[in-house]
Amino acid sequence: MFKKIDLRNKTALITGAGKGLGKASAIALAEAGAKVIIISRTLSDLTKVEKLIKKTKGSCLKFECDVTNLDQFKDILKKIKRLDILVNNAGNNRPEHFTKVKKENMEYLVELNMKAAFNVAQMCSQKMVELKSRKKIGGSIINMSSQLGRVGAPIRSVYNMTKFGLEGLTRGMALELGKYNIRVNTVCPTFVETPMVKAFFKNKKFKQQVLESIPLGRVAQENDVSTAVAFLAANSSNSITGTSFMVDGGWTAK
Amino acid sequence: MAKFLKDINLKGKVAIVTGATKGIGRSTAMAMHQVGASIIAIGRNINELASLKKKLKIRIQCIECDLNDYEKISREINKIKRIDILVNNAGTNLPEPFLKVKKSSLETLLDINTKAAFNMAKLCTDKMLKLKSRKKIGGSIIHTSSMFGLVAGPNRSVYSMTKFGIEGLTKGMAVDLAKFNIRVNSVCPTFVATPRAKKYLANKQFNKYALSNIPLGRIATESDVATAITYLSSDASSMITGSSIIIDGGWTAK
Repeated sequence: MFKKIDLRNKTALITGAGKGLGKASAIALAEAGAKVIIISRTLSDLTKVEKLIKKTKGSCLKFECDVTNLDQFKDILKKIKRLDILVNNAGNNRPEHFTKVKKENMEYLVELNMKAAFNVAQMCSQKMVELKSRKKIGGSIINMSSQLGRVGAPIRSVYNMTKFGLEGLTRGMALELGKYNIRVNTVCPTFVETPMVKAFFKNKKFKQQVLESIPLGRVAQENDVSTAVAFLAANSSNSITGTSFMVDGGWTAK
Repeated sequence: MAKFLKDINLKGKVAIVTGATKGIGRSTAMAMHQVGASIIAIGRNINELASLKKKLKIRIQCIECDLNDYEKISREINKIKRIDILVNNAGTNLPEPFLKVKKSSLETLLDINTKAAFNMAKLCTDKMLKLKSRKKIGGSIIHTSSMFGLVAGPNRSVYSMTKFGIEGLTKGMAVDLAKFNIRVNSVCPTFVATPRAKKYLANKQFNKYALSNIPLGRIATESDVATAITYLSSDASSMITGSSIIIDGGWTAK
């Protein structure tokens, strides 16, 4: 009756796995039994994550790769036998007031949060449907979105644009990949205690504004998000596709 | 090392489930029992309650009550020592074309799906707040909504009105109860293989309408929904409030 989060015999690829939510997701999926393939630009970060995963007796393969480099990512997929789960997580943010957004920042965010996310999703889907038994065993893609993929916020117009875009992509992919039994969803966290957010929180006024906007009165922890990712990756969420998993403490309920 | 995959565990929690005799309610009672909760099952049919009690054996109490009977249900809730989780599930549907909706059908649906659901949520919240340590240990309320709480379907104008209402109630309650660390969410399933939906789906034309609208090409199972409710009831989802888990195989992604 209750479907446990069990990922034994599954292979999961996680981008942006060196830090923050990617790292947390990789470890969570490994804890649930998946073989994980971790990808990041920074090899030293990957080595640390690999160590943590091996400590829990998990299986891990690491590749240093900038996901905006299509050819490099393609080469990695060639080395992988099989893929069941993608956590399409790599992304960034450069908060600026709309009237002052620098052209290079806009282009950087569109390049990484949208174009690379699309390309990674497409290449991984192609890999996933190669498996003859895909329809039977299913597959799952989790795009890392944000509560700012659902509502606007100050100095986040470009981030909003890219994350709303990812929400649209998720729904489109869900419709087209349904026939292969590949499910596609997003996770939309509020501010999470990641290295990226900790840097924003050095601004006390900003931190206070954030906490006032979250009815539960606290920011999310990395494991709140990684547990949601694992739930969506596993057969526990067998009938869930094309949706957004809000992990926002009520931010968007207002 | 911190765990990145939180356990879905309800040991020591008391969960009240309405509409527990059949379908989603019954499966949810069983799923939550499986992960350790003590169950208080409420339903109108004493024989079906008895069979559930026989099946679960321990950690189960049954209350025979029609939720439209406000006096009786308040007395019953008053007698209960402690509530940590409410699965506000009782509800029904009387599909009719908008132009032909009978006054009696409208009233039946508003009574059970809306008024009784509100009253139950209020009575149980009052009880949950009696516990001094509530803020520390948290609480969770899950409304069984529907994909028709998000979009419309033919012959379902009244049902949609009541379920859209539940979506609104969910968000309002989430905002008001967050300060007590009581989380409030809904689940929005597509057609589920329940006794009620099986009757609809026996009609070939209806079956085709349903399946052709679900990108995954299958209806949901009771355990898909029970698993999502169990996840929302546990601390594994401690940052999720005011949101809806959509278990619709992609129906509303279109």
